Amino acid sequence: MVPTMEIKPIPVPAMGTKVEWHLDQPYRARHLLILIAVIALLLFTGHRTEMDKMVVMTGQAVGNIVGLNSESQVVRGLSRVGESMWPPVIATREELSRFPEIDRNNLPLFASIEVREVEEQRMNVDSLEMEKHSTQVEQLVQPLGYAWTVFIKMLETIEIALWGTLLSVVLSLPLAWFAARNYTVNHFTYTLARGTISLLRSMPELIVALFLVLAYGFGPIAGVLALGLHAAGFLGKFYAEDIENADKKPQEALEAIGAGKVKTLWYGVMPQVVPQYIAYTLYILDRNVRMATVIGLVGAGGIGQELKGRFDMFQYDHVATILIAIFIVVFLLDQFSARLRAKLI
Amino acid sequence: MIKFNQISKQWPDGTKALSAIDFDIPKGQFCVILGPSGAGKSTLLRAVNGLMQPTAGHVAIDGVEFAPQTARELRHRVAMIHQHFNLTLRMSVAANVLAGLLPVVSNVRALLGWFTPEQRAKSCALLDRVGLDPKHLHRRAGELSGGQQQRVGIARAFMLNPEVVLADEPVASLDPKISRDILTLIRDAARERNTTVLCSLHQVDLAREFGDRIVGMRDGRIVFDGTPAEFTDERVEALYHGARWEDAPTDAGSDTVIDEFESQLVAA
Repeated sequence: MVPTMEIKPIPVPAMGTKVEWHLDQPYRARHLLILIAVIALLLFTGHRTEMDKMVVMTGQAVGNIVGLNSESQVVRGLSRVGESMWPPVIATREELSRFPEIDRNNLPLFASIEVREVEEQRMNVDSLEMEKHSTQVEQLVQPLGYAWTVFIKMLETIEIALWGTLLSVVLSLPLAWFAARNYTVNHFTYTLARGTISLLRSMPELIVALFLVLAYGFGPIAGVLALGLHAAGFLGKFYAEDIENADKKPQEALEAIGAGKVKTLWYGVMPQVVPQYIAYTLYILDRNVRMATVIGLVGAGGIGQELKGRFDMFQYDHVATILIAIFIVVFLLDQFSARLRAKLI
Repeated sequence: MIKFNQISKQWPDGTKALSAIDFDIPKGQFCVILGPSGAGKSTLLRAVNGLMQPTAGHVAIDGVEFAPQTARELRHRVAMIHQHFNLTLRMSVAANVLAGLLPVVSNVRALLGWFTPEQRAKSCALLDRVGLDPKHLHRRAGELSGGQQQRVGIARAFMLNPEVVLADEPVASLDPKISRDILTLIRDAARERNTTVLCSLHQVDLAREFGDRIVGMRDGRIVFDGTPAEFTDERVEALYHGARWEDAPTDAGSDTVIDEFESQLVAA
């Protein structure tokens, strides 16, 4: 015989009963004090980082543009640079005498020879004064010459970024394994891997590249190594955290049949974390392309080296061409990685 | 044969999960462990393949005790079917089933996903046995319904021809109709291979329908051990709502309440 179920009604307080619950105000005096402390801290550091001055100068610049005041250091500086940057250089124009082996009847593609009058300052030996002379000079004009140079340099930069990314992925996979608490061998390997990751992450690419240029000389080797080492730290950290946070259920199923750590990692964890890995790696590729332009400044190859040279020679119109090229590449890369991500995830 | 020898488990916080569990399961039996949530059913099952280390006592399969040295060998012989299926959801159905072979596949072959033709044929045969189609092979496991996912889990479990299958609440997240299909599948597949099944459940009707034997558990103790016919409504009531098993009307012989666990725990 099944005993009958006892069903008790849910107790309901009688009408008009005073409820003893109460819900507190969300803010108290403590919160106000915290707010004041935060504002004081911001004001203090803001003054130290000249945020007040920045606001004043920017205000002046805006005032100058709309015609309220006549003087602005910011506008003056920017317009001077802006004027010398425009128009960006596309063509190259070089004296023909520098190319003694060139065949006049068989010039390179798109190239032409122009005769120009060039004014030169020369010292008059008799009067010991500088005088203007104009001479006829034949120039070899290549209408896309500089664009082509920038393209080649940009390609080198992208190649440096690609190899840097490849290197970082190869280095970070074993690092991530040892730095994941649930897959590392023992406490020592864990600390070693985490330490390595912190060390790699703490060294900025630019500084690493400076030293590597001393070691490997000017050129792309230093660039690839600098990018690869820094990004290996970044990827190692994030890959490891993804391994630690992966869903435990499939791992438990493989552990239960005694599959072993390597195979459990490959079959129980990797498929789960692959979309995140791709996202991180694409971010690193994107970042490496941008960083590869920067580390070129210290001689680690690519477009940055070209940029630094032109900048130092005050050829801001060439700099403009390079900056436009960098923008186009970063923009295209963004589009590409967004599409790749959508396809793979 | 599985032998539970005075298994006790105390969690680090002092909770006693199992109290001197002691019983045997003969080869080929479909043994249902029945009881309310928190009775210790899963903990008991996980003692068999060493996912849980008992504080006292030991489990032996055909006389081989579970120990770190024997863990690898024993785990090959014991498969597990999980409540939440525990498939790698972003991996294909085929890869999930083949993952059941991982203990006997070399690392290189496993990393390359390079299985022998016989192994691939076996995975197809098992997927066919559990009622899936060739079109499912390359689907991601996460795209399947719950019932289909559990079918994949069953196929995976039988890949290594296990002697014992542990089914930990295999139908807890499935609806009643599919639950019956899944349990029928586990029972029949096990019978075909003379595999011992240890299946934890919390549904009385399913336990009565599928179990060769029902072991009732409450608060880490065995409070009933007998055939489905012996598992009367009064005993069901006692197992789920009763104050104490001892207070319920009983026939002699089928209950095994053991009070030695405290001395066991002291010894541990």
